[in-house]
Amino acid sequence: MTTSPRAIRLVAGHEFRMRLRTGRWKWLLGGWTLIMLMFTWFLSVSLSNTRDVTYYYGGGTTVQDNSSIGPQMFGILMLFVLGLMLIISPTLTSQSVNGDRERGTLATLQVTLLSPTDIAIGKLLAGWSVGLLALALSVPFVVWSLIEGGVGVLNAVVTLSVVAVLIGVICAVAQALSALVTRSISSGLLSYLVTAALTIGTLITYFLALSMTTEDKDVKVGGDSYGMERISHPEDVWWLLSPNPFVVLADSAPALPPLHADDGRIISRSDDPLGGIRRSVRDMTRPERVGPCASPGDVYGGTFGNPVYPPCQDDKEPPPVWPWGLGFDVLLGLGAVTVTVRRLRTPATRLGRGVRVA
Amino acid sequence: MIEDAQLIDHPTLAENGIVAEGVTRSFGDVWAVRGMDLVVPYGQVTALVGPNGAGKTTLMLMLATLLTPTAGRLRIAGVDPAVDPVAVRRVTGWMPDTLGMYDQLKVHEYLEFFAEAHRLSKADKARAVPELLNTVRLYEYGKAPVHVLSRGQKQRLALARALIHRPRVLLLDEPASGLDPRSRIELRDLLRRLAADGAAILVSSHILSELAEMADRAVFVSAGQVVASREMTELAAVGADQLIAWRIRARDPKALESALVERGLSGGAVTPAGFELPPMTEDQASDLLAEVVGAGVRVLAFGPVGTPLESAYLALTEERR
Repeated sequence: MTTSPRAIRLVAGHEFRMRLRTGRWKWLLGGWTLIMLMFTWFLSVSLSNTRDVTYYYGGGTTVQDNSSIGPQMFGILMLFVLGLMLIISPTLTSQSVNGDRERGTLATLQVTLLSPTDIAIGKLLAGWSVGLLALALSVPFVVWSLIEGGVGVLNAVVTLSVVAVLIGVICAVAQALSALVTRSISSGLLSYLVTAALTIGTLITYFLALSMTTEDKDVKVGGDSYGMERISHPEDVWWLLSPNPFVVLADSAPALPPLHADDGRIISRSDDPLGGIRRSVRDMTRPERVGPCASPGDVYGGTFGNPVYPPCQDDKEPPPVWPWGLGFDVLLGLGAVTVTVRRLRTPATRLGRGVRVA
Repeated sequence: MIEDAQLIDHPTLAENGIVAEGVTRSFGDVWAVRGMDLVVPYGQVTALVGPNGAGKTTLMLMLATLLTPTAGRLRIAGVDPAVDPVAVRRVTGWMPDTLGMYDQLKVHEYLEFFAEAHRLSKADKARAVPELLNTVRLYEYGKAPVHVLSRGQKQRLALARALIHRPRVLLLDEPASGLDPRSRIELRDLLRRLAADGAAILVSSHILSELAEMADRAVFVSAGQVVASREMTELAAVGADQLIAWRIRARDPKALESALVERGLSGGAVTPAGFELPPMTEDQASDLLAEVVGAGVRVLAFGPVGTPLESAYLALTEERR
C-alpha cells in the first residue's frame, strides 16, 4: 500500500493536536521545567562547593584544581535528562494503538485512504514530538552548563541528538507493544519492562555473563610461569552492555580535551562522568591485562636481565562501542515500526485475542 | 438465500453495490458468519435484520474492508476488498455501531480531518463539510467540541463522516439507535434521498419498526446465516393465510377479558395497549372482532401487533427454533 508524506503529516498533526488538548500538558511540562531548574541549580551549587580539591598523581606532584565545573555539570545533567526521558517516553505511545481500539476510533481511520504505514508513522511522530518538546525544554539548562565552560557546543548537539533518537526508539517499541497487546494497561507495563531491560537488564546480563567467562590462567612471562591469575574476558561479552542508553549516550559524546599537569603530562580527568563511562566501556572491548607490566616511569623492567614487561598503558585507543549500541537500538525501533504496520494492516485475517475491530 | 447465489459471475454485478457469496468468518472456534449470500442493489435501501449475535456486525466489518472472510466471495462496487481494499474504501462509507469519536476536536475539525484522510481536495472539503453539517442538522454545533454532543448528535456526526467522500456504497450499522423520533425520520428521508441518487445502502438493525419505513428490501439473518430475503412490499401485503399476532383493547378490560376467556383466548400478555392474542389469519381475526363486538364489548382498538416486518421476523425465527 502507498504512503505519502502528506498523509503522514495529516495523521501526525491530528494526533499531536489531540495530545495537546488532552490531559494537563501545560502542568506536566511546567513541572518538568521546574524539576530541571531545581536539579541544575543544586548541581551547579554543589559542584562549585567541591571545586577546591587538589589532585595528586604519580611522583608526588599536585595540581590545584581551578578547572571549570562545566564538564561535570554537563555530564551529570545529560545522564539525568536521559534518565527522565526514559521514564516519560514509554507513556507517550504505549496506548497509541490499543487505546484507539478501545475508544473505537482506530477502525474509522483504517477505512479511510490512510495506509497502515501512514497511521503507524504518523502516530509515532506525534508521540515522539511530545518527547522532543520535553527535551527542548531541557536545552536552556544544557546551555547553562555550556556557559560554565569546558564543554563544546558540538558535544551538546551530539548528546542531545542521541537522546532524541533514543526517545524515538522507546516510543516505537512502546507503540509496537500497544499494537500487539489488547489491553492498554498491559502494553504500558510491558513498555516499561522493555525500557528496564535496556537499562538495568543489559547491566545485569553483562555482569552475569562476565562472571561466566572467568578462568584461572597460568600467567607466563617470557616462558617462565609468573603465577596463577583469575581473569575474566569482557572482550567476549561487552556487546551485551552496548544497547544500554546510558552507555550509548556517554560513549557517543565527543571526548573532552585532555587535562595537562604543570609538567605537561596528561592526567586522566575525573571531572567528566560521560568520559568515565566511555573509558570503562571501551576498555571492555579488549582482553584484561595479565601479569606484570611496566609504566613509563618504571626502570627495573629489563635492567636485571628480567624479561621486558609489556607497557601498562596501551597506546592504541580501544574502538568506540556506541555505533553497535545505537545501531542495535535503531534497528529495534525500526523493527517495532514494522510490527506496528503489520498489525494495522486491513482487511485483517487474524485478530489478537480479545481484539474487537470496532 | 439460494436465489441470490452465483451473482458474482453474472452481468448483474454492475447493478449491485454489494454481492456476497457464501461469506464465512470464524474467530477461532466461533463461527460468527456461516455462509451468507447477499445482494445490495444500487438505488435501494436494504435492511439487514436479525437478533443480537446473528453476525450482522461481522458481515459489516468484512464489507468495510476491515476483516477478511474465512471463506466465500465478496464484491463491493465490483471489487474484491481482499484484492484492492483501497478501491473499495474510495467508494464505501461505513458507520460502525460503536460511537468512537475524537472528543478533543471541534465538530468541523472532525469532519475536516476525515475529508483530508479521504484525500478530498481543498475546495471539495470546504464545500462538503458545511453541507454535511447542514444535512445532519449540526451546523450550529460546528464550532462546538465533539464531547458536548449528545448521543444522538454524535450518531448524526458519525453519519456525516461516513458520507464525507460521497460513497456509492453505504454500510450503516445500527444507525438509528439513540436517535430521537425527529432525527429518525430525518435519517429515513436522508437515506431515501441517497438511494434515489443511486447509492447502494445496507442498514443493519434489530429495531424493526424503523427499518420498515426506510428499507426497500429486508434480509433476515440468524445464527450467522441468511434465512430469508424479501421485498418490503411483499412483506407489507399480509397473506390471507398468514398467521400474525394481534392486539385488542376495550373501554372495559374486565368485560373484554371475560369475552376472550369464553372463546378460549386467555393467557396472552396484558399491556397498557391491550390484550395480546395468539397468531391468527386475517379471516380468523375479523371473525373474532365481530364476535367480541357482538357480545357487547366496546372495542377501542384492534390490529396486528408490530409491523409486517416484525411479524415476518418473528415468523422466520419461529421456524428456525
